[in-house]
Amino acid sequence: MNSTVANYFSEFESYQKMVDWLSGIAGFDTATLVMVVVISLMAFIVINAMMLVGGLGTYAERKISADLQARIGPNRVGPYGILQFLADGLKMTMKEDVTPAKADKVLFNLAPFLSLFGIFGTLAVLPISSGLALSHLNVGVFFLIAISSIVGIGIFLGGYASNSKWSMLGGMRGASQIVSYEIPVTLSVLSIVLLAGSLNFKVIVGGQTGMPTGWFIFHNPFSFMAFFVYSIAALAEANRAPFDLPEAESELVSGYHTEYTGMKFGIFALAEYIEVFVLASVAAAMFLGGYNVPFHLGGDGIIGQVLQLGAFVTKSLLIYYVVIWIRWTFPRLRADQLMVVCWKYLTPIAIFNLVGSAVWLYAFKGQSILQLVLHSGGSSAGGH
Amino acid sequence: MFGLAWYLGIGFVLFCTGITVMIARKSIVAILIGIELILNGAAINFVAYSKFVTQDLDGHIFPLFIIIVAAAEAAVGLAIVIRFYQIRETIHIDEATQLQS
Amino acid sequence: MFHKVLIILSSALTVASAIGVLVTKDIVRACIFLFFSLFGVAGIYASLGADFVAVTQIMVYVGGVVILMLFAVMLTGGPGKESAGSKGYLLIPMMGNKITFGFGIFSGLVLLLTMAKITKSVIASVTISEVEGFASTVERIGSLLVSEHVLAFEISSILLLGALVGAAMIARPRKNV
Repeated sequence: MNSTVANYFSEFESYQKMVDWLSGIAGFDTATLVMVVVISLMAFIVINAMMLVGGLGTYAERKISADLQARIGPNRVGPYGILQFLADGLKMTMKEDVTPAKADKVLFNLAPFLSLFGIFGTLAVLPISSGLALSHLNVGVFFLIAISSIVGIGIFLGGYASNSKWSMLGGMRGASQIVSYEIPVTLSVLSIVLLAGSLNFKVIVGGQTGMPTGWFIFHNPFSFMAFFVYSIAALAEANRAPFDLPEAESELVSGYHTEYTGMKFGIFALAEYIEVFVLASVAAAMFLGGYNVPFHLGGDGIIGQVLQLGAFVTKSLLIYYVVIWIRWTFPRLRADQLMVVCWKYLTPIAIFNLVGSAVWLYAFKGQSILQLVLHSGGSSAGGH
Repeated sequence: MFGLAWYLGIGFVLFCTGITVMIARKSIVAILIGIELILNGAAINFVAYSKFVTQDLDGHIFPLFIIIVAAAEAAVGLAIVIRFYQIRETIHIDEATQLQS
Repeated sequence: MFHKVLIILSSALTVASAIGVLVTKDIVRACIFLFFSLFGVAGIYASLGADFVAVTQIMVYVGGVVILMLFAVMLTGGPGKESAGSKGYLLIPMMGNKITFGFGIFSGLVLLLTMAKITKSVIASVTISEVEGFASTVERIGSLLVSEHVLAFEISSILLLGALVGAAMIARPRKNV
């Protein structure tokens, strides 16, 4: 059940030949060593691709917001201003790195890396395609939700260690928000896990098809509702507008990263943008068919993997667009409204969805609503 | 080298550290931290024995229940800490002397 | 090789951070050391093939209990509030003295010797088997929880509900304090 990208490559003959050849040269069995190298290389590629996604995310945010507000947006660096994020990054690395005099120096420097660590941990199980994903852990979804909660500690520490009232308020808001909204996220993911019968992303995505008729979002009314519960709660968990209370600039200057300068601020921003992508891709994998290509084009070879990667990235980026769209459309909630939304609305609805999904599975033996409609229509047509 | 004794040793170190934290520190929150360390040291033993001795999964169930109990204990304990702070304006353990006289 | 590296790294992280909890003076740093220590324990579970337990450990401890403790520290005046109490000592979370440390080390040694005596025969008789390719434990744990251990499972739900309601009741602000 557990499989990694090395397992996928080891099915090819040339990989085996290379391992044998290396073993002959080195004089010992190099299979483990080659596996480590392959996984490290893939991890390097995935992390750098995600850095690129995070960087382009800032560009997309500015460009889309400009579009929604009838402005032009960044258009000076590169064609259509697309290299703007590189210029921003260069500027950030060259800024002076200021640590406040009364700050807790160790924790102040640790905080951005903790939040980045939580995000990079999730990349290990991100289902980018059936073969090229770093690993298909058999507790994949659970692992992803668990390890992304480390971001909350990073945010809290960033707020605490800055020794500033605004940072402190932002950090405590952030941590309480992330802890609270984890519950609706987990419960709505669980209702999909019930349908798929596994925590493994490979099984969950494999239970769906390339066409929308086989997606879990259209499986039954409860999973349809679970998608929206998940979307709202995931927005709050990534501290995105309209739930961006921790960094509410009209109340808290800039929230938990008020005192951060230079690249440490950049790391917080990067972690936020990558987290949005990760949560969008989880939504795509759980509800929208994930990496499934329509009609199973390309098969399971390298071409098929690239097509799967394309399908996955397309779906994730569409959700990413909607997230940015929401940010520039809705006003921000108040702190008490935030908690009311979580505990009085989303959590009961999510529990209802979970029970409803279980009842649906029991009553209709796992058939989707479409299958039921087609079946009854077909049988009645056949009867007459 | 990494047999049962290795894991029992780690569990033992965690347990002793937890006991020492509970004895040495005076803040109630720190005492709760010590309790968490003790519970983890015990849980490692369960999983290690289930892997090396009994080879079934009953040893995996116990850590789950330990985690559940620890979460409940942390929630109630920290609520008591907050209530104590509301009354006494300190979380120093030596201030909790109401039952003495 | 992977497996041994995982064991050594997570053991070192666990033990070093546990000692860090002990020697640090700042309560927030103690919480962060606790976080690293619990994370290391999750790594140890993973090295023992207990994947579900490892992830549950990360989920509950790292994402829940540590943040809860940090919140409790912040809601009770923060770590650096130094003020002399009625009895004259500083009301900061402070370390023990030589007597407490000496007692701790002594009791630790006694415990170690006792444990070594008790577990000697068990350790000697153990046959060390290799990790069998990380077989999945989720399904088997699930069926165990609803068959053999169903009573404990159901009671733990009542325990959690009681803890939830009780914590909310206890920490509720009251006017006539």
